[in-house]
Amino acid sequence: MTLPETMLSLEVSDLSVSFAGLTSPVLAIGHLTIAAGERVAVTGGSGSGKSTFINMITGLDRAGTGSIRWNGSDITRLSETARDRWRAGHVGLVMQDFHLFPGLSAVDNVLLPARLARVADSAMIDRAHQLLSSVGLVRPGQKIETMSRGEMQRVAIARALLRQPGVIIADEPTASLDSSSGEAVATLLLDMAAAAKSTLIVVSHDPSLIGRLDRRLTLSAGRITADTAAKEQTR
Amino acid sequence: MIGFILADLRRLWAGAAVVILLVALATALGVTVTLQERALRLGSARAADKFDLVVGAAGSETQLVLSSVFLQPAPLPLASGDVLAKLSADPRVAWAAPIGFGDSFSGYPLVGTTRTLIASMVDGFAEGRIFEKEGEAVLGAAVRLPLGAEIKPMHGTAETGGETHAGVVYRVTGRLKPTGTPWDRAILVPIQAVWHIHGLGHHEDHDDEDHHDEHHTDSDHEHHGIDIDAPIVEDFAANAPGIPAILVKPKSIADAYRLRQAYRGGNTVAVFPAEVLTNLYATLGDAKLVLSAVAAGSQALVAAALILVTVTHVGQRRRQIGALRAFGAPRFAVFAIAWFELFLMVAVGVLFGFLIGLVAARWIADIFTVQSGIVLPVGFGKEDLRTLLLLLSTAALLSAVPAVLAYRQSPAKALRS
Repeated sequence: MTLPETMLSLEVSDLSVSFAGLTSPVLAIGHLTIAAGERVAVTGGSGSGKSTFINMITGLDRAGTGSIRWNGSDITRLSETARDRWRAGHVGLVMQDFHLFPGLSAVDNVLLPARLARVADSAMIDRAHQLLSSVGLVRPGQKIETMSRGEMQRVAIARALLRQPGVIIADEPTASLDSSSGEAVATLLLDMAAAAKSTLIVVSHDPSLIGRLDRRLTLSAGRITADTAAKEQTR
Repeated sequence: MIGFILADLRRLWAGAAVVILLVALATALGVTVTLQERALRLGSARAADKFDLVVGAAGSETQLVLSSVFLQPAPLPLASGDVLAKLSADPRVAWAAPIGFGDSFSGYPLVGTTRTLIASMVDGFAEGRIFEKEGEAVLGAAVRLPLGAEIKPMHGTAETGGETHAGVVYRVTGRLKPTGTPWDRAILVPIQAVWHIHGLGHHEDHDDEDHHDEHHTDSDHEHHGIDIDAPIVEDFAANAPGIPAILVKPKSIADAYRLRQAYRGGNTVAVFPAEVLTNLYATLGDAKLVLSAVAAGSQALVAAALILVTVTHVGQRRRQIGALRAFGAPRFAVFAIAWFELFLMVAVGVLFGFLIGLVAARWIADIFTVQSGIVLPVGFGKEDLRTLLLLLSTAALLSAVPAVLAYRQSPAKALRS
């Protein structure tokens, strides 16, 4: 099993993303850096550009100008196939809707991307079982559709951590959960990211989750309107 | 990947089942038409195999073959008795046998002929023996009557208002082995008995009777008896009664062509049944074209439905495909999943279609055999394998369309959908 050895730093420069029919860009960031190992919350109202920000920094979309450098490598210059390969090796994604695959068991869901990329060796299968155990799931063979939403998000976190990514990017990981499940998932996400020594970027409206992160970026109309450290948040 | 595809198909089993069913029915329609048409050609050709040359009175060649080979009831003009005598004496002829028909019993046609013809056409008896007296009869393999049964012939058929020949009874002495031809459904009796029942052969002056029609009315049909113990005479003199058809066994192929030439003109017609069948096949070919067009039309409708299914298939899976790519599945893997899932459904449908087509064709062939006696050999050949491979190749190509669409769409857009 080959795993990335370093956590990732991000540097965004002169990023501008526009959609057809709109007069102003949906995302415009002059300069932004996130240090390796940093834990950052991204907040903002609906339509503020949070999803576009996530899509751009993960390479899911390439619709703008400017540069997005992870550890110095500009992913905007990569082809779509190369970005898929880069994302598979470096990014752990956790999404609000989980995007798990019904009909498959928890462990099969965790291993699916690795299997499709033909990197799921026995060590990785062992790690998948360990991760599921770590997130508190004792039945790795349980079908996804028979699980609670809280359990599903735990499986999603395990999947994101499988290849020990340099950065974990979570999009509203607690939004569809009740408060106790949300709290548990938030704790798990932070602990697991710390254990994996991954940079963590979380889009969230959940104040308790935001409050536990190092830094908070606030987006409005596609611009970063506030960039505050944890100490300043609590002040 | 296979596990993921199977899980996905299990999850959407109803949709998958509909796709498979649509493809299977469309395929089965085409396969049934093809197999049936081919089996009809083969079956009819085999049925005519032992009929080298048929001679009859001038008239329709096709009807002569249909009546003598396939025992299709129809009024035929009668060839003069001296034709049979001349053929019997012809050095180019191994043997010539009259075939007389028009009577029936329990829905089975009665065919008057000779022992020579029976011995030549059939590989012996399943039970019993050949007729040796005027009042005896033998059964085709598919006639459901016991040995020793009494047969009271009816002029014409019950459906056409036929009338039983009063006082005439044949006794069954044997059952022939199957031939896979309409003759399996026939009751064979001595030709002299047929003549005697119809008042022929007893008299010297039979020339005025020049048509044998099973649609005679009561007023124009006389009943005569037979001598059930009379010995069978199969030496035909020039004053033999008129006959609908004469089966001729030439001594050589060259003789066959010479005989056909000699008896093709004037008051007679001589035909090679295979030649007439070839013309019929041409008509059959046209019918197949029409059926194939109908099948193609229905297949086009199914193809349109499949395009709809494909579009829905991709639509349903856009988020799934986007998620797979977002989580790091290589684009080729996404392409392979989308391609293989659709191809698997279509391929299973095509294979089921071939199976259903075969079963349907055999079922139709069985019904046809029961009704006509002709055994239709339904089965796959090399050309069907070629068709199967062509269909699977087309399915492989068509399945790539949604796969390419899935391959090309941005994961971010797919996740937003």
